[in-house]
Amino acid sequence: MDSSNASASLTAMRNLPAGRRIELTDSTGHVWTGSIVPSHALSGPRIVSLKLESGYNVGVAVDEATTFREIDDPPSPRRPEPRSPSARAMAVDDAWIALLTTGGTIASRVDYETGGVRPVQDAREILAFYPELESSGSVRVVPVFDRLSENVGPADWLVLAQRVVEAFDGGTRGVVIAHGTDTLGFTAAGLSFLLADLPGPVVLVGAQRSPDRPSSDGPSNLEAAAAVARDRRLGEVVVVMHAGLSDDRFAVHRGTWVRKMHASRRDAFESRNGPPLGTVEGGTVHLLPIVRGPGPGPARVEGPIDERAGLLWFYPGLTPERARGFSEGLRGIVVAGTGLGHVRSDLIDWIRSRTQAGVVVAMTTQCLEGGTDPFVYATGRALVDAGVLYLDDLLPETAYAKLVWALGRATAPADVRALLAQDRAGEFLRRHRPEAEV
Amino acid sequence: MKVGLEVHQQLATGKLFCRCPSELSDRSDGSFVRRLRPSQGEDRAVDPAAAFEASLGRSYRYETGPVDCLVEMDEEPPRPLSDGALDVALTLALLLDARPVDEVEVMRKIVVDGSNTSGFQRTALVAVGGTLEVGGRRHEILSICLEEDAARKVRESPTEVVYRLDRLGIPLVEVATGPDIGSGPEAREVAEEIGALMRATGKARRGIGATREDLNVSVEGGHRIEIKGVQELRKITEYVDGEDARQKALLTVRDRLRLRGAKVRPGPYPDLAPLLDGTTTGPLAPTTRRGGPVLALVLPGFAGLLGPVPGTDERLGRELADQARAVGLRGLIHSDELPGYGVNAPEVERLRARLELGEQDAFVLVADASAERSERALRQIEARARAAIEGIPGETRDPLPDGRTRYSRPLPGRHRMYPETDTPPIPISAERIDRLRRALPERPSARLARLVAERGLSREQARQLVYGGFADTFETLAVRGHGPTLVARLLVQDVPSLPPRGDAGPFEPTVDQLDAILAAANAGRIGKEGIPRVLDALARGASDVDAAIASTGLEGLSSEALMALADRVVRDHLPMVRARGPESFSPLMGDLMREVRGRRDGREVAEALRRAIANALERSSPGSAGGHG
Repeated sequence: MDSSNASASLTAMRNLPAGRRIELTDSTGHVWTGSIVPSHALSGPRIVSLKLESGYNVGVAVDEATTFREIDDPPSPRRPEPRSPSARAMAVDDAWIALLTTGGTIASRVDYETGGVRPVQDAREILAFYPELESSGSVRVVPVFDRLSENVGPADWLVLAQRVVEAFDGGTRGVVIAHGTDTLGFTAAGLSFLLADLPGPVVLVGAQRSPDRPSSDGPSNLEAAAAVARDRRLGEVVVVMHAGLSDDRFAVHRGTWVRKMHASRRDAFESRNGPPLGTVEGGTVHLLPIVRGPGPGPARVEGPIDERAGLLWFYPGLTPERARGFSEGLRGIVVAGTGLGHVRSDLIDWIRSRTQAGVVVAMTTQCLEGGTDPFVYATGRALVDAGVLYLDDLLPETAYAKLVWALGRATAPADVRALLAQDRAGEFLRRHRPEAEV
Repeated sequence: MKVGLEVHQQLATGKLFCRCPSELSDRSDGSFVRRLRPSQGEDRAVDPAAAFEASLGRSYRYETGPVDCLVEMDEEPPRPLSDGALDVALTLALLLDARPVDEVEVMRKIVVDGSNTSGFQRTALVAVGGTLEVGGRRHEILSICLEEDAARKVRESPTEVVYRLDRLGIPLVEVATGPDIGSGPEAREVAEEIGALMRATGKARRGIGATREDLNVSVEGGHRIEIKGVQELRKITEYVDGEDARQKALLTVRDRLRLRGAKVRPGPYPDLAPLLDGTTTGPLAPTTRRGGPVLALVLPGFAGLLGPVPGTDERLGRELADQARAVGLRGLIHSDELPGYGVNAPEVERLRARLELGEQDAFVLVADASAERSERALRQIEARARAAIEGIPGETRDPLPDGRTRYSRPLPGRHRMYPETDTPPIPISAERIDRLRRALPERPSARLARLVAERGLSREQARQLVYGGFADTFETLAVRGHGPTLVARLLVQDVPSLPPRGDAGPFEPTVDQLDAILAAANAGRIGKEGIPRVLDALARGASDVDAAIASTGLEGLSSEALMALADRVVRDHLPMVRARGPESFSPLMGDLMREVRGRRDGREVAEALRRAIANALERSSPGSAGGHG
């Protein structure tokens, strides 16, 4: 047989439905018995993947000498349905909270066909994953969208804000938003600016380990988030995630101070410059007196937004030519500058040209800890002179979210600048203690 | 009886999915706490062993230290699978004439006893379908796998298990044989042969627990049992034969239970504490004093069948008690052992009356500080008692040091394996196989024969070197000119008998250290008898061999000083020397060796003693009395 026969049998095998049992005889005469599983996306071109009787998956190369035949399926065990949420969870008591789902690891399970994770299909499935959520009150699940968080943007913040307001209008005690962790900090900041007069907590929560793993941090994070969402002392947007490596302590972060500081750890989320607002331990929520209390309601969305905003991370090779392309079509730019808020001197003229053209340029520090200050070095003073607004100790991401909101709320650059400079959600800290206290 | 083996060998290649060393540590610098829950596999089913562990509701504490990283903490995705470890597995595949897979796919095997922080063990099938000939019999090799070792259990309580992360992630190569072994001794031989092949790769770790066997034992009419983690080869025979005897004994109990039409009365379990308020001693006393419940399971038709099976050391009562222990109870009391344990005869009568029992009916009592745990234990015991009427339940059992085994958990099902999506498949190229084939290590049998022929060792010495994994070191030292017999003794006797150093495992001197010790002995700086003390000083942290020799004070016993010691020993026993003449050598040699403390070679010491005795006899002989005075 020639190689076209090899590719013919490869195609024939790959076209079999997943789970079909075959007996494959390879060129060495070895006989493999197993069921077809979809090949991994990174498998070699001549590989067919089999799940052997032992449960192991292996890849077997197909060549011209390979033959196979289909064999009868053994009686397959009945697939149990996922555990269903209890009747009580579907009913609603006066301590009910809303759980908005957006996709992300916390609401995903492994897709064994593609090897990746996929969002859960419906609300019932998420409660089946997290039965502990029902332990202290009912939960109403509201699927909002199904997306990994790298695909969640400012327009989605607005949709979420509307759903939050609807939930409070419906009488919920608090709102939990299950969200992918990659951009969870951005969404938390965006909602902090978009939502006004909150009568209860809005709690964003995620998972760093998918829920199909026995070690997932999703269940304990969600449980802590639900406890915070039921807390009557709180009326702001917060993030609840692991406070350390253990599954028994969780931190409550202000939505405008929080940042994902590690690519994979459970305790990746940290409040910068200031302490977390509180902790959850053993189901008890401890809060610092600095939390923002609930407003009288009703909750409101203060939109709209304008996405013509950019976040520019300064680096030593950033020339005016490169910056020029970036600023195309933007009404506002947040610069993450070095140190106290600096860029190289030859950018200053380009910045002046932008502000004179009506673009709002605001400065933050890429150091992520500490604040900006334009008055210590000549570069800072020159930047102020070029029309740059210094945003004190705002994180670059928070400043970007605030800019998206402010550009939507105001037209004149001076009005946008005024909105940016004003404290809206407790985002300016302005007092930096040597160590965070909890 | 049919036995299949799984031989696991830790590899010294560095960890399998991170770049930490393959080492244990006796230090810990912190800990964290986790909870695990069983997750649904590809087909949404939950594994029975996983569900059992989860039902215990324990939390897990992990101690961290210098030989683990975020990967072991389940805080970072796995790094690519260790190439060095994969080479070892492929080398074994070639030595066993097995067929390597074309693409290795890493799987997750669900394990929620906390021994893996992730809740699963990463494992990959590397090759299938080999053969191994041992003692003229061919054995089928089912598979060669590469997997992560689990975290090491430090201690446990009913609510928390403490593990150390040092062992987690050390590569284990696993060779599984077909169920074609017919006896305990044969199982041991096959395990030895596979172990020797693994050590022949030069990458096997040494030390306690570096090689572990799982024994799959099936007895006719019984059920497959998995005895997990046997560390001592010489115990394999005992475990296999013991399992055969256990199943046969329990099958006779089964037959009698069936004859009697025995049943198990299902829960709810009555609380008999009110009838036991007079019980002030024995295992029930703490509970009755506190007013806690003493729960009972009724076993109609079981009376007299819970105690020892005639002619054996087996008893069904122990099987039931193991179930109680597995959920954290200290044990149980059954009616075949009553009156006793602080329960007197009138109380037994009251209990029997309350439970409305007939002559042939038995019952089991449990009393734990936690009523919920008692309840859970009785549910397990109830299921086990029911299984006793059916036959032998499939189980995973732990090997005990006394040669017995004990129930640990249900046999895992097939719902526990699903793809590790964090690692891409690894193609096995023809070039890689060619490279490994060209560098195949010498087979143990060939090497053994060669060492006998080339180095003049006895077969037994050569066997110990090859099967113990010392052959490489031996040949390096022999090439450097050291006497084969002395080197062999150093490697198979002196080094392995060094005292263990706690968690860090036994001390392993480097080849250069061994070389320096042998050189010192050859040069007469220390006696051969002093070698163990030099090794011991090294194990205790001496900076090098010179420092070790200096710290032991072995050096510097001159020939004159040795002679003076010998003379003194003879003088101290002069009457005996005079009475027994040259035959006094044997009793005095021990005394003198103690004085010499290894500072000179035994042969030199013997020579000095013979001279001293001769001198003394000469001095005291009548013919020379006048000459010397």
